[in-house]
Amino acid sequence: MILDAHGHVGTWPDFLIPDPTAEGLVATMDRIGVTAMGISHLLAVGADAERGNRLALEIAGRFPGRFGVWQVYNPHHRTPLTRDGVWGVKLHPDVHLCRLDDPRYDPVWELGLPVLAHGQTDSPWSDPDQFATVAARHPGVPLLLGHTGLWPSGFERAAHTVADHPNVYLDVCGSKMTGRWIARLAALAGAERVLFGSDACFLDLRTGYGRVALAPLSDADRALIQGANLARILALPTP
Amino acid sequence: MPKLVVDAHRLAGPVPFDDLPVDPRADLDRLGIDRALVTHTLSLYADAREGNDALFALDDPRLVPVPVVVPGVPGTSTPATSGEVLEWGARLIRLCPQRHRFDLTGSLTLSWLAEIGLPLAIDLEETSPAELATLARHLPGQRILLLNPGYRWLRKIAGLMTEAPGVWLEMGTVNTQGAVEWLAERFGAERLVFGTGAPVADDCGPRFLLDHLALTPAETDLIAAGSLDLLLGDTGQGGAR
Repeated sequence: MILDAHGHVGTWPDFLIPDPTAEGLVATMDRIGVTAMGISHLLAVGADAERGNRLALEIAGRFPGRFGVWQVYNPHHRTPLTRDGVWGVKLHPDVHLCRLDDPRYDPVWELGLPVLAHGQTDSPWSDPDQFATVAARHPGVPLLLGHTGLWPSGFERAAHTVADHPNVYLDVCGSKMTGRWIARLAALAGAERVLFGSDACFLDLRTGYGRVALAPLSDADRALIQGANLARILALPTP
Repeated sequence: MPKLVVDAHRLAGPVPFDDLPVDPRADLDRLGIDRALVTHTLSLYADAREGNDALFALDDPRLVPVPVVVPGVPGTSTPATSGEVLEWGARLIRLCPQRHRFDLTGSLTLSWLAEIGLPLAIDLEETSPAELATLARHLPGQRILLLNPGYRWLRKIAGLMTEAPGVWLEMGTVNTQGAVEWLAERFGAERLVFGTGAPVADDCGPRFLLDHLALTPAETDLIAAGSLDLLLGDTGQGGAR
């Protein structure tokens, strides 16, 4: 079973996404065997979290079993949160210009659901150090360190920084990730702490999954990374 | 699955910022890549001439050399004269105008390129679509392989490819959803070239993508190796043999 921890639907202003649709994602998921993907709508990451979250839930309803929803919380808009029909909460400190350890995110941690947050090494908003800080405050909340910090120069530090916080997981999506680095992260942090994410449709699902599929990993570690770990975190049924 | 896979953008040698394999052949074997066009890292991170010497010393027909050229006045260039480039017997040369601090569209570079007459490879981080369009206007016959184009510049890249039919695109970093198919539809698979930039950039994702493109087998074969032949001016030789 292949589960994609980090996906999106929709357009983004910075650049052209040729296929931003849920239909396109499902076709690609079918082509390469991805069972389900956790999505946030890019409208929600951007200017309108509440409407974007509604769109993501509508998409999940149209494709039963194929999409989980990461509802976006915008700390400035105090987005309403739900426990029903979602995988958890998506935070993007760099877009919202609000540090991950800011108390304005308290409603998110109080909800207690898994949290997927954008992580970016050396960013004032989302450096891996901040993941260690909030993981220590909320050890019962599974926290996905998006992109493992994004920049290769920070991957090893990210793994070490969260090593003593077992509720933090390393999400391997990002344009600078490599199959070699995924294998390194599995060795550094333990494969049970590494999660496949693609960042599709922002990035191409096939390129993202290909890094896991062709990484120099054992079959057992690959199975953990590409689905078993996320199924365990979300308590999803496994075949 | 493509019949033949050639990585048009590969590095051999050490890099200063990571501990990566210096010899690409084991990864080529593991990922089912038949051949690679290779530049030596010493040419990028140390001395262009020393890197080219190390590149030619690899002397393996599976690793097709892409030496680095630094155009310039006598005493500043690699090699000493443009004429010496042709003595190398290379099929493709690489330029790094940012790294080596020369003007890509200056008269001296244009003169060298006109005299050399070979296709050139250049990383987008070393130039811009506008600069390449200017180069193409000055040298309309110049064939250009744009390396590492990324995914955030599709609008500019599409403009460049419309304006400059001599531009081919390496697809390893073209990784927003459906972008390779989008480019193939607009410009033809014959202008897209499989390449990775490994081991600094990722080779696993692009190699997997190549096997799962929503294109015809003929289009995929072009991207995997055939388009490279067109770029290099080959006919029926099979992937920069």
